[in-house]
Amino acid sequence: MTSVSKIFFILFFILNVSYRTLAQNSFEHQFNFANELYAKGKYFDAVTELKRLLFFDVTGKFSYEANKIIGLSYKQGAKFSDAIHYFSLAELNADSEEEVYEARIEAIKINILRRTTERTLALLDELRNDERYSDKSDELNYWTGWAYIFSDKWEKASISFSAIVPGHGLALLCDSLADDLYNPTLAKTLSLIPGAGQFYTGEYISGLISIGWNVLWGYLTINAFMEDRIFDGLVIGTLLWWRFYSGNIQNAEKFAVEKNLEKTNNALQYLKNNYDGEKP
Amino acid sequence: MKNYLIIFFLVSISVSPQTTSFDFYSPENIKKFADHLFCEADYLRAIEQYGLISKDCTTDFKVMLGYSLLNLYQESNEIFKSISEKSKFYSDAYLLSLKNSLLMKPASVSAQAIKSFDSIQLNSFNKLKTISMLFDDELSISKDKFISPFDENDINTVSLFYDMKTKPLYKSPALAGVMSAVIPGSGKMYVGEWGDGITAFLATGLLAFLAYDNFRADHTTRAWIFTGLGTFFYAGNIYGSIASAQIFNAKINFEFNEGLKLFLEQKNYFLPEYDFCK
Repeated sequence: MTSVSKIFFILFFILNVSYRTLAQNSFEHQFNFANELYAKGKYFDAVTELKRLLFFDVTGKFSYEANKIIGLSYKQGAKFSDAIHYFSLAELNADSEEEVYEARIEAIKINILRRTTERTLALLDELRNDERYSDKSDELNYWTGWAYIFSDKWEKASISFSAIVPGHGLALLCDSLADDLYNPTLAKTLSLIPGAGQFYTGEYISGLISIGWNVLWGYLTINAFMEDRIFDGLVIGTLLWWRFYSGNIQNAEKFAVEKNLEKTNNALQYLKNNYDGEKP
Repeated sequence: MKNYLIIFFLVSISVSPQTTSFDFYSPENIKKFADHLFCEADYLRAIEQYGLISKDCTTDFKVMLGYSLLNLYQESNEIFKSISEKSKFYSDAYLLSLKNSLLMKPASVSAQAIKSFDSIQLNSFNKLKTISMLFDDELSISKDKFISPFDENDINTVSLFYDMKTKPLYKSPALAGVMSAVIPGSGKMYVGEWGDGITAFLATGLLAFLAYDNFRADHTTRAWIFTGLGTFFYAGNIYGSIASAQIFNAKINFEFNEGLKLFLEQKNYFLPEYDFCK
């Protein structure tokens, strides 16, 4: 090779490399720009720029990451169906088993948030039965616990967290809440004695009022029968006493359900604001 | 050879910045990207991107269509105002603006056909204008004339809508009230609320009997209590029967309008299909 040819070859090589590098830089720059938008919380713009990148990037180099971040952006905007769609695309474009796993976990988190518990558990079981992810059982148990939390099954959630490590912080919280919740069936059953169900749920005034009404209508009903005013007794007994008696039972159940809802909402709020671990 | 190398070097230097760094934001690429977003049904982003480049009649119409598909009918019709009559999409935009107006305020279309309509667009316009008459309080057109613009697939449905509009299955509130005044609960039964009717009949009858029985047994106070309760039930039942008939009629109107809207949605308001994504 003559010296001129050598120089020509070197120049060609340098230009070729710089062509590829600069072109690559444009796309990387676009990707970094979109990432910055995401980091700044500008999710709409981040999605636009990532979609732009995906549209022009024929190499597919950014397909996994871009689709995943689009999914995360949609998640931030509570557009869960769109988020799932893009996590599925990320999974399809994943280059490694780890990336497939990450995309699926993101989809699982969305299902947890939108409380499609059966679907969540099915997806978790799929991963659990996949030999490639046999070392991920702790993480899978962790998200199973969260799925149960969001479906209001605190005892099952506790079991899942305890499977990771006995005495897991979230397991203790779930146990504590499960103990604290009222049993609506018990509240109903106790209300066979008027007012008792209300006392059980801490609604003492309501319990006293319930006792008062039942005593009044019960007295009038019995009194009517004792005075041989059978028809009056039947009317007061069915239209008034029975109405108040059954209302007392329904009332006790309603209190238990409402108070449980308040407690579980408080627990979720607490987890949202104070729990430092990973959340859906 | 030296000269050759210098030329090669200079050419490479001058060309490489244009060819190597990709310009995502050139007008051409923005348009390509906007078209892609539009075809992906991401209309909001597509509209945003179209706004970044110089407008033409196609992008104007696509923005108008995008707003309409996002249910932003007011914004869509604002875009229509800026579309020139000379635009090749003016006739389509005109039809789309009628659809938007109908979706914003269901009422008969008073607009006239325009000269630039082709036969398909004119057919769409006639169908839309005719069917929109159903949103008016009264229909003053013969059935034959009403169904004439529609083809065989739609004629049965349109005919049914015509019948429902001209002969609605209303219940008379006055009759319901009178019936309940004569026989408590019968007005409710006339409206179709059999359970409520029977309950009202039994409750009013029971209270009347209790009042009578207590008067007969000289339990005057109790008798007056039952008389008051009975009167309350009786009057309430008359009022309830009238209200039920009115609610029944409102339900008929609501179901008619919802059925009509559903039909129009299924038919895309008889507008031609716009396919920009082929």
